[in-house]
Amino acid sequence: MDKTLNDKKSFFKSDSFRLFMGKYGIGVILFIILVALSIAEPDFRSSRNLINIAKQVAINGSIAFGMCLVITAGGIDLTVGSQLALAAVLLGEFVMKREMNVFVSCGLTLVITTALGMISGALISKFNMFPFVVTLSMQLVIRGMAQVISNAQAVSITNTTLKAFYQGKVGAIPVPVIILLVLAVIMYILLHWTKLGRYILAVGGNEKAAIASGVNVFWTKVMTYTISGFTAGLAGIILCAKTSSAQSNLGVGYETDAIAACVIGGTSFAGGVATIPGTLMGIIIIGCIYNGMNMVGISSYYQSIVKGCMIILSVLFDKVINKKK
Amino acid sequence: MKKILALALTLCMVLALCATASADRAGDVNGDGKFIVGYISKNTTDTFHGPINTYAQETLDALVADGTIDEWTGILDGLTDPGHQCDLADDCLSKHCDAVIILPAEAEGTAPAVEALANDGVAVVVVNSKTNNTDDLAATYCGSDDVYAGTLLAQHVVDNCPDGGKYLHIQGVLGNSAQIQRGEGMHSIMDANDKFEMVGELTGNWSSDEAMKIAEDYLTRFGEELVAIICDNDDMSSGAQGVCNDAGLPGVVCVGVDGNNYPLSMVKAGTMLATVLQDGVGQIAAGIDAVVALSKGEAIEKEYSIPFVLVTAENVDDYYTGE
Amino acid sequence: MAEDTINRADYILNIDGISKAFGGTQALKDVQLHVKKGEVHALLGENGAGKSTLMNIIIGLLQRDEGTIEFEGKPYEVKSPVEAMQRGIAMVHQELNPEPYLTVAENLFLHRESMVGKSIFLDKKSQNARAQKILDEFDVKFTAKTMMQDMTLAQVQMAEIIKAVSCDARLIIMDEPTSSLDSNETDHLFATIRDLKAKGVSIIYISHRMEEIFEICDQVSVFRDGRYVESRPVEGVSHEELIRLMVGRKVDNVFPKVDCPIGEEVFRCENLTGKGFENISFTVHAGEILGLSGLVGSGRSETVRAIFGLDPIQSGKMYLDGKEITNKSPKDSISKGICMVNEDRKAYGLCLFRSLRENISLPNLPTHQPKLLLNQKRERAEVSDVAKKLTVKAASMEHSAYSLSGGNQQKVVLSKWIMASPKFLILDEPTRGVDVGAKSEIHTLMSQFAAQGMAILMISSELPEMMGMADRVIIYHEGHQNGEFLREDIVSGKVTQDDILAKEFGK
Repeated sequence: MDKTLNDKKSFFKSDSFRLFMGKYGIGVILFIILVALSIAEPDFRSSRNLINIAKQVAINGSIAFGMCLVITAGGIDLTVGSQLALAAVLLGEFVMKREMNVFVSCGLTLVITTALGMISGALISKFNMFPFVVTLSMQLVIRGMAQVISNAQAVSITNTTLKAFYQGKVGAIPVPVIILLVLAVIMYILLHWTKLGRYILAVGGNEKAAIASGVNVFWTKVMTYTISGFTAGLAGIILCAKTSSAQSNLGVGYETDAIAACVIGGTSFAGGVATIPGTLMGIIIIGCIYNGMNMVGISSYYQSIVKGCMIILSVLFDKVINKKK
Repeated sequence: MKKILALALTLCMVLALCATASADRAGDVNGDGKFIVGYISKNTTDTFHGPINTYAQETLDALVADGTIDEWTGILDGLTDPGHQCDLADDCLSKHCDAVIILPAEAEGTAPAVEALANDGVAVVVVNSKTNNTDDLAATYCGSDDVYAGTLLAQHVVDNCPDGGKYLHIQGVLGNSAQIQRGEGMHSIMDANDKFEMVGELTGNWSSDEAMKIAEDYLTRFGEELVAIICDNDDMSSGAQGVCNDAGLPGVVCVGVDGNNYPLSMVKAGTMLATVLQDGVGQIAAGIDAVVALSKGEAIEKEYSIPFVLVTAENVDDYYTGE
Repeated sequence: MAEDTINRADYILNIDGISKAFGGTQALKDVQLHVKKGEVHALLGENGAGKSTLMNIIIGLLQRDEGTIEFEGKPYEVKSPVEAMQRGIAMVHQELNPEPYLTVAENLFLHRESMVGKSIFLDKKSQNARAQKILDEFDVKFTAKTMMQDMTLAQVQMAEIIKAVSCDARLIIMDEPTSSLDSNETDHLFATIRDLKAKGVSIIYISHRMEEIFEICDQVSVFRDGRYVESRPVEGVSHEELIRLMVGRKVDNVFPKVDCPIGEEVFRCENLTGKGFENISFTVHAGEILGLSGLVGSGRSETVRAIFGLDPIQSGKMYLDGKEITNKSPKDSISKGICMVNEDRKAYGLCLFRSLRENISLPNLPTHQPKLLLNQKRERAEVSDVAKKLTVKAASMEHSAYSLSGGNQQKVVLSKWIMASPKFLILDEPTRGVDVGAKSEIHTLMSQFAAQGMAILMISSELPEMMGMADRVIIYHEGHQNGEFLREDIVSGKVTQDDILAKEFGK
């Protein structure tokens, strides 16, 4: 194991394949899935369908990026589904009922979901409570808030500016795809190029060591939930535009796919291990599975089984490749 | 290595795009020489939707077998999620569907799915409940009027509790259009009748189990004062009635909508007075008939109304087939 | 030895030729222990002498590699503490961990509850009655229905002893039983031990307190470096003799300590008090290596943790460069130039699955990367630089810390603190779990740091390391300072290991 720094030849030979597969194995899987589905079903590889998939994954993708940070810092955020509903309901209230400017409304909505994320985070790190329990409870609180605000009634969104967040296009590229890509870049920079990103990885990797290295663990954790609140709010805006409706029962169970995307993308549930490109690929894989199975015509009864097996296999793959862990 | 992979991925994408350029029959929905049917279910888990999906599966398979239609997508699971139904509509477009049957999860939320399909010239057959754009965009609607169902619930209670009294309302998942509309119909009658007083309105989330808990709590609180429990579906009303019967208060009138198997068996056995049957299979049958007519180029009507029926001991044998 | 000739029937426990290795470390080598019936047998040894390992083998928590154990004349082979209990051996641990939400009776009958007939239902009433009857035999203030969480440590310990006796244990192992008792409680414990002895129960008594050994024990066996040294009757043995038996090894002068001029005062603390230490005062100067020596649990690590801001300080003052400071968190300390290598490298030192680069730069990001975005190119250069200086052997800085050997991991930890150019460096067990080669490299580095003018505070459980590296050694005994030795006296031979150990044992 102890090789010197300049022993390049043996480094390239021995560990490089493992390192490559450990880091980019998920990309190889995605590639195989894409090729297999393209061969099996011509409709799958139509440009229209590929754009479809890109559009479809925007909501789950947005949630998954926030979730990825939370999981990486050793937590879990189960509030995202109800954050989506709250965001949609708030938009319905602001844009349709109070006829406020769309961008101001979106801004306000994001501020509120972000603040709620921050509250979850503060509760978890200040009082050292289990993230699972806190976010499970906060999920109920937020869903309840959405019901109170909307009075459990659906509001139809007719504002075209708001609807453009899902249905609009810039050139040939749909707006949600642009949002997802911009978010991916921001998240990449955040996790891999900033101090906060390093702290998140360190806190998840070994909280005690992070404290002993002078990391402010409280703020680091709070920031992950805060960002998750923001991305969930963003996803809520897209969902609201997508369904042209603001109602309190949107987004039920959306946390599952987001967690699945993170896990498939190589985010370790033990914390401290994650990459944004991996998560993006996990997001696309989930989208391809949903879409591809419909395209190939796999019965919906079997789709859940396939999805579940896929998640287990990808985790298993990660374990085998990164055996030393 | 990273770059090689990136290159390979890009190459694959490009190839995929090129390959489809020739096969793409742009905008020509019906011109590919095939008649393809899409089927977007509301979900695959509710007891109400189970028989509907099964009927659709069998009938559409048979239609493919006898050549009436060329292909169908299989049951696409809407997961009771309007967002997901929008995705499935896109998938149907990718599959070059010519007609799509859709059972909306939400009146508002599923509307963009109908819109996307209709905008591409696909004939949309909306079944079971309307989206808010169904009247404008869909080829036809086959369903029943949930507001009317709500009035049937209320009228049944008014008829069977001549002295009036306290009643409880157990709702479906808040925000569902069926919950909203059935509640609306129910209230239109009950609120106008001053002999009745509503003592509670809570959600049982369409689930028998949750309805039973609520019924238990309210029976404990009000006992014999409670004369009726009105539920948004009959999974919940059968559960509530079971609780009342076990508590020695079989006189409490519990009623709900759907006509699922178990509630019907209770009506048959005389342990529950009535249930309001929503003929789900009738709705989907009408929908598939409409699709068949479309495939033959025949004209179809804008709306097929499948009536709700109040099922009591008198007519239960017409609807309850045993197992 | 004389044991060969005496009657083995007098002995309840005969242990011979036991060896046990953990990975490459030989924890026990060919040790023996012979305990008579009705005897209180003391086990004595320095940190890491192998006492705990041997006890864990006896109660089945560890399995021996070699050797034989005979209990009551029969071969003894157990796989768990429960099994050991069934054979008649029980252990009262140093850190007691009873179930806090059980009553005394429930704890007493754990795994052997009273049932209603042969049913699956507990018979609480009869269980409580039986428990109370047992408790009545002892002079205790709690009842069968007292919750474990409501009892003092001494009471919990008593409950554990009573439990052992009620299980018909013929041999009870007590690991540092008096470490958290006051003198009244200790007297009560000793009365109980004498009682048990009269009933024919044997006791293995592990303690660092010499006076207790003289007061309560009949026989004492001494261990050193995983080996058995000697066993003697307590009567007739002297304090000094026992110390000599425990030490018995030479300081080999392999330590690359370079004497360098000692400069100005860098760090000073006055009357520091916190959990586990009291009234600690010392000064560390630039270029000086100050050693804190003491038995494990004597408060050395607790002191430095508090100085570094990991644990709270209850009272006392600290000065850095003559100015008073308070450290609320490690973040505070690091920003002032105080860094610490923790004794537990895996828990506090490294994020094992992150790369060396990230580990090394983690505490240095605020100072070395002031901009919003990280300059990764500069980071790589700086990290490789410091790693090279500290002779870290790794294929690349991008490898995970996990893939390195213990010695290299420790150098990575050192690297991250050296990169912070601290004024005051605390090293808690800097060479624990490090192989011989890396150990000497780390010692060389320590000398270099001191020569550069850093003030170093070192903790080590290895006396030779302490004596070879430190300019000055402060001795801890049970949370208090108990003397100080200078390097020149150690080098000249005026102060020996015996003297240091004697101080550590409270003399």
